[in-house]
Amino acid sequence: MSPDYDGPIIDVHGHWGPWFFAMDIGSVEENERLLDYYGIDLQIVSASEAVVYDAPGGNARLDAVFAEHPRLRGYVVVNPNTPEVGRADAERFLASDRWVGVKIHTTYPGRSIASPQMRDTFDMLEALHAVVLVHTWGPDVLDLAALVADRPHVTAIAAHAGATSWDGAIEAAGLTDRLYLELSCSITDLARVLRITEQVDHRRLLLGTDATLIDPAVAIGLYQSADLSAESRELIFWRNAAELFGLDPRAGENGRDHRNPSAVKEQ
Amino acid sequence: MYRPLPTGPIALDCDVLVGTWPAQADIDLSPEKAAATLAEADVTGALVCSARGAWFDDVDGLAETLSLAADRPAWSPVVTVNLRNALRAEELLATASNAGVRTLRLFGALQGVPIASPAYRHTITLAAAAGITILTDGDVREIWPAFAGQGLRVVFLDVHAYHLADFILLAREEPGFVSSTRLLNAPDSIERLVGEVGAQHAAFGSRAPLHAIAPSTLRLRHARISAEDRATIGGGWLTDTTVTP
Repeated sequence: MSPDYDGPIIDVHGHWGPWFFAMDIGSVEENERLLDYYGIDLQIVSASEAVVYDAPGGNARLDAVFAEHPRLRGYVVVNPNTPEVGRADAERFLASDRWVGVKIHTTYPGRSIASPQMRDTFDMLEALHAVVLVHTWGPDVLDLAALVADRPHVTAIAAHAGATSWDGAIEAAGLTDRLYLELSCSITDLARVLRITEQVDHRRLLLGTDATLIDPAVAIGLYQSADLSAESRELIFWRNAAELFGLDPRAGENGRDHRNPSAVKEQ
Repeated sequence: MYRPLPTGPIALDCDVLVGTWPAQADIDLSPEKAAATLAEADVTGALVCSARGAWFDDVDGLAETLSLAADRPAWSPVVTVNLRNALRAEELLATASNAGVRTLRLFGALQGVPIASPAYRHTITLAAAAGITILTDGDVREIWPAFAGQGLRVVFLDVHAYHLADFILLAREEPGFVSSTRLLNAPDSIERLVGEVGAQHAAFGSRAPLHAIAPSTLRLRHARISAEDRATIGGGWLTDTTVTP
């Protein structure tokens, strides 16, 4: 990808809040700094607390953040061990246009994508016609495709595109047209990004950064390593996400200052 | 999107592989591809190791590495030892040293060799006696005791942002412990490391061309550190101790 892309950007995989690692990334000002620095117009975030500990508590605390930060949108985190609690949160928050989808992790709840609890949770999401971002790592990305294929009103994003199982992600994307891939990941194998961008319809690829846990340089750098046309860059960096979530990248422009060159400077 | 700022070349990539990689045999690891990747990223020097030594034959791997580096002044050859048969390590390191090689790369994790194995101890002892800088794969939280307390210069190639706290604790006690930047990918990992223990404990590494180089170059070039610290990480003392004159 050309480094001089200057179009809109929607990041479909972000986080707000601290993590338990040696990182000082927990304040929403860090989200804002990275949005400014990388010119990201909108970022869809989940609360780290909701992901790793208390889903309803973290969701509620994230809701309070949105008023002062117009470039952020939210994922309602659902713990598959408590789908009814998740349903209540989803129905409550998705009524607001600041919340646009559901996020499910597998590690912290200790439930695989193939688990009965996840099937129950997806039945609940089917009734809500939800867009859901699901953590995938390894062959479970194929399990996600199967869940989505059986539920015609659910659309899913495979977070990390299967990570180590990017070949599985490619296969999964071929099983249903309601499965999107985003590539955020510490695994920067060149084969991963090349094969995915060669073999998956670019209308099904999205930019996810995993920020503020991971610097957006990683996901942006991965896509830079692929030979993408200008049209594909537009699709991956914002058009696909705008269509999927019904978002206008200009919607957060009151909080955006990245067009000001002074926002990007070396120290 | 932002426009990357011109911050100048990166003098040394400590993690460059050439040859072939069985698990990703469809990726071009030729020396020509490696050179082109580094040039495009404005990385001007590299510590280069043939993957042949990692996977198959360390003696032939060294010969291949020396041959490649002989044609490319910006590349410094790196020797590796097959830790599954370290009986040849002493002779191999002597050969490498006579050829001007100043860096040893260990692939113990790749080769499935436990860090407590005699092969590791033997090879590290030889490297210490020769004053050779070591590059090593593996989880720093598990392998560090084998390298500690010996005054060694060791670049841990797989330190992840998630494990930065452990590395900082080690670096406070070990002046020669260095982390590659490849997986220091949180928004403040490099900055935190520099702030806690100094830029001399970090070295730019990308694992190109097996891995995409842009995530590593972007992260270093945009790290919120001084130009002096950036230069140290992008070469600095590692250049003085590893680059073949």
